Amino acid sequence: METYQDEAISITPRDVQFDWDDLSLHYIEGQPIATHITNVMHITLPEGERAMVQALSDALPLVNDDRLRDEMIGFIGQEEIHSTSHEDLHDHLDRQGLDTGPIVRKLEWLVDRAFNRPNLRGRARHAWLCERLALSAALEHYTAVMGQWVLDADALDGAVHPVMLDLIRWHGAEEVEHRNVAFDAYMYVDGGYFRRARTGVMASFLLLGIFAWATAHLYRNDPTRGEQRFWPFQLVDGIRKGLIPSGAHFFTEIPTYLRRDFHPSQMGPLDKALRYLAQSPAAQAAAAH
Amino acid sequence: MPTQEVELDGVVRAMARMFDAYERVFAAGRIGRSVSRPRPVRRTGFDLQLRVVARDAVADDVVALTFAGRGGEQLPSWHPGAHLDVFLPSGRLRQYSLCGDPADRATYRVAVRRIADGSGSREIHDELAVGSVLRVRGPRNAFRLVDAPSYLFVAGGIGITPILPMVRMASARGVPWRLVYLGRSTATMPFLDELAACPGGDVVVHADDGDGFADVAAILGELHALPPVPDLYVCGPPALMDTARQLMRALDPRTPVFSERFSALPVVGGEPFTVELARSGRTVDVAADESALAAIRRVLPDVRYSCQQGFCRTCTCRVLDGEVDHRDRHALPDAERADSMLICVSRAAAGERLVLDL
Repeated sequence: METYQDEAISITPRDVQFDWDDLSLHYIEGQPIATHITNVMHITLPEGERAMVQALSDALPLVNDDRLRDEMIGFIGQEEIHSTSHEDLHDHLDRQGLDTGPIVRKLEWLVDRAFNRPNLRGRARHAWLCERLALSAALEHYTAVMGQWVLDADALDGAVHPVMLDLIRWHGAEEVEHRNVAFDAYMYVDGGYFRRARTGVMASFLLLGIFAWATAHLYRNDPTRGEQRFWPFQLVDGIRKGLIPSGAHFFTEIPTYLRRDFHPSQMGPLDKALRYLAQSPAAQAAAAH
Repeated sequence: MPTQEVELDGVVRAMARMFDAYERVFAAGRIGRSVSRPRPVRRTGFDLQLRVVARDAVADDVVALTFAGRGGEQLPSWHPGAHLDVFLPSGRLRQYSLCGDPADRATYRVAVRRIADGSGSREIHDELAVGSVLRVRGPRNAFRLVDAPSYLFVAGGIGITPILPMVRMASARGVPWRLVYLGRSTATMPFLDELAACPGGDVVVHADDGDGFADVAAILGELHALPPVPDLYVCGPPALMDTARQLMRALDPRTPVFSERFSALPVVGGEPFTVELARSGRTVDVAADESALAAIRRVLPDVRYSCQQGFCRTCTCRVLDGEVDHRDRHALPDAERADSMLICVSRAAAGERLVLDL
């Protein structure tokens, strides 16, 4: 058995508040498609994160390591707060005419159908828990990569509504902060390479598919669609200006994640994420009381 | 059931079928399972048995303890700001910041001030000697020093312990720094000598007995009237932390402000009560100074919770009977307050017995 060679990073949720009163339809100025790609997070993350929370909660009784348990418990709370913070935006999106209801309900149905398999018993049930943990670990790899991206994307300053920018950077920074937790939980409970590899590839295409599908839905419902440029031009423009990632990560991260000796701690220093959390208006307002 | 109301489209149906097929192959199917051999990675070493190898008086009423592994083994690495959970001989758990040198992988050092009514500090001062062996957990970091162009450190009294290694690291890396160190008198302030030996920054020492009662606002305002505003790291009494935080915010609202983050807060004004766990058929007594969650965890160690401060709602629990004294940060929606509670902070109303769906 290996021994811990480094300190644990304390992971606990932060009590954040966001005020959406003056948020406009296209809160990335002049960039409807980039806005909708960001909106996809508000729509898809709550359900996805709850599914991960459920997987880690179900795994907790199997984990007899106080350090990992503490991290899992902190992870669960951080993800709960992420879910509710993004969900609070659904009302705003609906008021702007984007009608998120149908797509949110479809996702709820799909996530429930995909993750909850009440008919499984015994070894199959345990195998399914391992699959859920492995998929969570893979999805968390992408959220950490995206989290670092939003922290590094200087072009967002001034281009995105400041409260929205704080939401995505606070969220991104916590994803970087807790990047190892789902991975370590999977490695503790199962750790099999083939399972990790296939869920890694699956996560990549699943995310790409969901982003395309949900962005298309929002774009179709956008009341100003008729006045906008043809969407591929907008997409290229947003990527060129550094306001949205190109999506290349969904392919370039696959070989990284599939390395046999991969561990999230290899993804670079935590400094930028921790420093953002110390200046995020939402996280700091809560820290002050 | 929501299933009937949802209008599904082809994409969603196709994805659902994909998961069905996946389950048949990899969870329910024998071949899928046989190619998914577990290879778990499990680690030990979060719990350590450490021996006290040195005990030094570093100021009036402040003792520094140096620990080493019982077999002289290498200890886990740490960054400035880390702390240890120390289990005292009585079983009490206390957290102390590491104040030694992070490059030294053989020993850990903590410093503890004797507090008149502090039973933990009394044990450290009176009962531990060189050779004592303690159970320790960690190190864990909730206050990590991170890269920045410049630093302002503010320490009050024994709050210097996590700050000292931060000053040393900033000094060693050549990053501009300044420390404001406040205390009652210089005789009670540890590590003044070690701080004086750190080049590349300056130490402003303010002792109440020589310099009068500290006007933190004046001291900090004078130091940082001009930009650029440094990153603030503050450790000390709550009033000091609040003042420093507010001052830096006034200078520049986006200044990073770091202070140690705690999870569970002490219970204030609590009465003992009894909780009945309906599903597991157990009854738990909650003491006046502990949360319902802490008591319930004794019998249900895997009960869901997280923040322990009444805001994340992870521990929301249905109340089947009894009146609740809600103490959450209004995190629980009004509609749920009648029949749910956050067990990490909320308690039974006076004289009530709670029946929970656990």
